[in-house]
Amino acid sequence: MSTSLSSRQRGVLALLSVPAVGFTVLMVAFPVAYTLWLSFRATPLGHASHFIGTANYARLLHSADFWNSIRVSLLLYVLSLAMELVCGTALALLLFRMQRMPAILRSILISPFMVPPVVVGMMFLIILDPTIGVANWVLGWFGIAPSAWLASPMGVIPTIALIDTWQWTPFVALIVLGGLQSLPPSVYEAARIDGAPPHRVFWRITLPLLRPTLVTALILRSVDLLRFFDIIYVTTQGGPLNASNTLNIFTFHIGFELFQFGYASALAVTLTALVFGVVLALNQLRRAVAW
Amino acid sequence: MERDQKSAAARVLIAVLAIIAAALILTPLVWMVLSSFKSSDQVTAYPPSLLFRPTLANYENLARTTSFLAYARNSLIESGGATLLGLLLGIPAAYAASVTRASWPALATLSARMAPGTLFLVPWYLAFRDFNLIGSYTALILTQGVIALPIVIWVLLPVFDAIPRSVLEAAQVDGCGVLRSLWRIGLPLARPGIVIATILSFVFSWNFFLFALVLSDHSTKPLVVAAFNFIGEGSTDWGGLMAAATLITLPPLVLAIAVQRWLVAGLTLGAVKG
Repeated sequence: MSTSLSSRQRGVLALLSVPAVGFTVLMVAFPVAYTLWLSFRATPLGHASHFIGTANYARLLHSADFWNSIRVSLLLYVLSLAMELVCGTALALLLFRMQRMPAILRSILISPFMVPPVVVGMMFLIILDPTIGVANWVLGWFGIAPSAWLASPMGVIPTIALIDTWQWTPFVALIVLGGLQSLPPSVYEAARIDGAPPHRVFWRITLPLLRPTLVTALILRSVDLLRFFDIIYVTTQGGPLNASNTLNIFTFHIGFELFQFGYASALAVTLTALVFGVVLALNQLRRAVAW
Repeated sequence: MERDQKSAAARVLIAVLAIIAAALILTPLVWMVLSSFKSSDQVTAYPPSLLFRPTLANYENLARTTSFLAYARNSLIESGGATLLGLLLGIPAAYAASVTRASWPALATLSARMAPGTLFLVPWYLAFRDFNLIGSYTALILTQGVIALPIVIWVLLPVFDAIPRSVLEAAQVDGCGVLRSLWRIGLPLARPGIVIATILSFVFSWNFFLFALVLSDHSTKPLVVAAFNFIGEGSTDWGGLMAAATLITLPPLVLAIAVQRWLVAGLTLGAVKG
């Protein structure tokens, strides 16, 4: 088709993209350039900003709060990702074994990730409340001591990872299920004729063939997890004692509570570099595991 | 015979495990809804009350003592406006990208979708402040449009790609211009995709928190920001909070369930078809 387009048609087609491209330049490209520019400037409140070279970046590299936020972000990222991939794959294998998934089950599976993250935060605030929460009460039936959950500096990141796992495991499961359904059935038949036990079929055949799907799920979750914001802002605002102060929460605090726009810009640029760095690395991985 | 029994047992086991998984997923949501029907004594009782006389007091309070309905209207205006903006810009762009096989417009909007919101917020805040637009619907619709546009483009690209080229070429031979073939052939054939794109964009801007947190004010804040503000006000009114949470969740949940079969393909921005 594209070869048969006249130059006039090409012109009209180009015009059709102009509004979307213009909007993206105005609302995204220009602001990103401005943030980059601002990250090299000091922005004292009530005064004009001025160029200070890489001082904002030097400041973040020497800031204990910055390194804490990197540590917190990566810990939350690795914990959540591991739990979501393991639970999601297990759930997908279960769904794959069902002859027909009832529509009601699919509705239930999509519910968690359609709930606004702000609501998810509020919901778990009441469930995990140390004094009135139902979670401690239920754990008490099994003789498990009550936990402070979100109020505990040690426990807050695992708790948030648990909340995110609740919200996103079904999403990972549905992606992996799609991958399972697209695998050639001949592979399983060959394995069955060989009499291979199910666990070996999983480790030797299913899992290697699923790798491209798993990497796709990994990339999609990585983008959201590295810039984790809503649930933390609603539940702990980075506390207690900075224990859940992810890089995005820290950046927001510097920018919109302390109004240090130059420094916040340097932090936002660093966070974006982290997200795109991880996505590009995982994209290489996706090429490596493609079959 | 033994084999039949074994597979019947396996089927029961699978069903039981699926029910357990469904229960784990539903429990927090059910607890939220139950709490919204409890009186203030019941909702803070420990051990938590499972059997209680349900009350609508929390919902009545929301309507009477807060501007809940005004916030709901804000959410509707802002998500609706952003969705409309996304469709107006995204449909022609997706069509052009599909016909010319150009991939860069889609990739450009995708990277906008991947960047953390804090990357745009400072310039937006400064620019909207200069134009006196902080707290305006304009600012909120424009910024939420950044969420909606990539969704529209990524949902519609495969939809337009699936229209047989011969159909479009035949239209051209008939003397249809590009715009006419988009209007007469592209749009009608893409109608189901456009419905999905509309619902997904709406749900995602409805749920989106960060931009409105900074750019809305007391008269334009959407439900998610208003609900967040309820948390801080003195001692938390748990029942009222859960009633608000329940109501905020209903529209996205109902809409998503209506398009559930296409949801995952839409959410993964074309990376997977599920």
